[in-house]
Amino acid sequence: MTFRGRHWIAFWLVALLAALWAVIARQTSALNSARALTDLREERASLEGRRAALDRRVRTAQSRAVLLPRAQKLGLRLPADTEIILIPVPVAAPH
Amino acid sequence: MAKPLVRLRVVEVGLAAALLALVVRAAQVQLVEGRRYAAAAKAQRTEHVVLDARRGALYDRHGTALALTQETYHLGIAPNELRDPARDIGTIVRQLHLPRADLERGLHRRYAWFAGPFTALEVQPLRSMRGAHLEPVLRRFYPSNEFARAVIGRVGEDGRGSGGGGGGLERLLDSLLAGTPGSAVVLKDREGREYESPARVIAEPVPGNDVVLTLDAELQEIAQRALDDAIDNMEADGGDVVMLDPATGEILAAASRRADGSMRPSAFTETFEPGSLAKIFAAAALITFDRVRPAERVSGEGGRYRLPDRVVTDEHPLPSLTLADAIRVSSNIALVKFAARLQPDEQYGVLRAFGFGAPTGVEFPAESPGRLRPPREWSRPSSASLAIGYELAVTPIQLAAAYGAIANNGVLLEPTLIREIRTPNGFVRYRHYAQPVRRVVTPDVAAKLRDLLRGVVEAGGTAERAALANFQLAAKTGTARRVVAGHYAAGQYTASFAALFPADQPQLVVVMKIDNPQKGSYFAAQTAAPVTRSMLEQALAARTVALDRARLSNVATTADRVPLEEPDGVVPYVVAWPYVSDSSAAQPDRMIPNVTGRPLREAARALHARGFHVVVKGWGIIHHTWPAAGEHAAAGSTVTMFAEPPPLRR
Repeated sequence: MTFRGRHWIAFWLVALLAALWAVIARQTSALNSARALTDLREERASLEGRRAALDRRVRTAQSRAVLLPRAQKLGLRLPADTEIILIPVPVAAPH
Repeated sequence: MAKPLVRLRVVEVGLAAALLALVVRAAQVQLVEGRRYAAAAKAQRTEHVVLDARRGALYDRHGTALALTQETYHLGIAPNELRDPARDIGTIVRQLHLPRADLERGLHRRYAWFAGPFTALEVQPLRSMRGAHLEPVLRRFYPSNEFARAVIGRVGEDGRGSGGGGGGLERLLDSLLAGTPGSAVVLKDREGREYESPARVIAEPVPGNDVVLTLDAELQEIAQRALDDAIDNMEADGGDVVMLDPATGEILAAASRRADGSMRPSAFTETFEPGSLAKIFAAAALITFDRVRPAERVSGEGGRYRLPDRVVTDEHPLPSLTLADAIRVSSNIALVKFAARLQPDEQYGVLRAFGFGAPTGVEFPAESPGRLRPPREWSRPSSASLAIGYELAVTPIQLAAAYGAIANNGVLLEPTLIREIRTPNGFVRYRHYAQPVRRVVTPDVAAKLRDLLRGVVEAGGTAERAALANFQLAAKTGTARRVVAGHYAAGQYTASFAALFPADQPQLVVVMKIDNPQKGSYFAAQTAAPVTRSMLEQALAARTVALDRARLSNVATTADRVPLEEPDGVVPYVVAWPYVSDSSAAQPDRMIPNVTGRPLREAARALHARGFHVVVKGWGIIHHTWPAAGEHAAAGSTVTMFAEPPPLRR
């Protein structure tokens, strides 16, 4: 069977549609990826922000400015150096 | 009227001419002006954007973040795009804490802009809101706002350390921290809005390097709080604290504050006359050049000694003094007399060798070199003045480095604030190792100087109030007249204190300076010395402070020097705040538990539970205690545990 004019037209039309479909599919996929990337970036930024806020709260809660007044209220105090016992480290015996 | 054929020709020619003109114009547009139009079209639908590089973080030596870069947001609102303006405004007001009136006024415009910047947490609910446009912007964030502010500094308004308003380490390390911005091309619509499309990245941004500082967050906090309390309680004009590791030159804490709450980096940039703190350097010269024998005495002159140009006085005169006495009681007269045996070049040479009159080399912008005039510029009383710490201007960091040399067996090290520099992917680009500047004195002379300083903290010394019960300290007090606007201000003093902790194998050099304490005593012995003691106690009690406790446990403790028959005082084990001194109400006697055969830690816990203090001799399993098990002793008294290594198992 030989290709006639109409067959060629149909062939080129299909080829054109396939190429257009490929371009659109790639564009759509790229846009979806970009959207997913943006979402992930936003999520990361949000989590980092949350971590920073928590860090700040932890740091404040651990600070002496907060802890010492509370300790004093509980009747606690900083130990004097006499109350800190450092256990001597064993020295390796010669072989 | 022309014939139809002619008319047809005319029309044909006209059409051909029009077509030709079109082709010519098309050729002109495409071929001649094509590039210009292409560029204009590209500019209309694309935009070059700068991709900001994330600025490197600053950490303390234990990895605690001190300065981070965080993504924050500006907010743009297109009122015509909002779905439910009333509800959306409520959400924005609640989330961003913006005044409702401002927001409503903004919404009357075509596009409202709120610079913020707002944190990611604040804008989270706005991400899905139609009409709310978020523009990310990187912003410097300091988890603890006041932490070492004078040292770390801040970035300028442009987010760079080198910009206007930048300072401290942020400025100095800007080229390391800043990174390299990238660039990209994005598509935009005819309104100029960016399409949601993958940006064509031309150059990826390169984040800046992370820098690990030598600062110890906990020691820094201890120093800052102690300084704040001291300035407030003593109604002082300001003060500085520097803590330094003498073995490496690493600065562990550097705090500065003025009475008005401002924080200038004065520990690095502002000088003062050290007064008696400099006497140890005169002693170093005397010992180095062998100009004084240990037992040699000079007269105390009854506390008043007249020189040709001035009168030197002592607060608490002794009849006669050795060099050790002179340092112990901080005698001006004895030091002036001893220092007269030094040649100006010798005296100057030793002071210069200790680093005075030159920048220490610490990585801090605008570090002051201080002032030490060469002998050719001296006047007649200069030698005597220098021996007692006048005619000499030093910074606290210079003093810390110089005392560090005494602690470090005579080798002066370059102090540093930078411990490590890491690339964004974690590779170490730079790691600090001790940088010796020069040997100042021999190890033997350094040991003698430490012995002299040890005497200052013992009974009768000026720093008696700085003494710790269990650890030996080597220290020196200094109370010097204060220079204001080039003249000695009447009734104004600088109280300063330098300490090596512990005296043997020192791990910490502490320099504290209090400017013009007005409430109570102005003497360093009653001001800077007890504050330093308190800082050391807090450092000992803190878990993460950069002290080598294994090494600390093996150095000679004060208890080693006190015979067992003379208990080192009764200290209650548990007392209510505020701390009540040892001489409080007598505690009832209680029995000493039998801890023989138990491991050290367990035995110490058992004795603590009964309210005793513990001193350990040896290591391993407890062999016996003194007083012995079953005997009675006052609660709070010291029980010595004698331990032996456990027997080897075969």
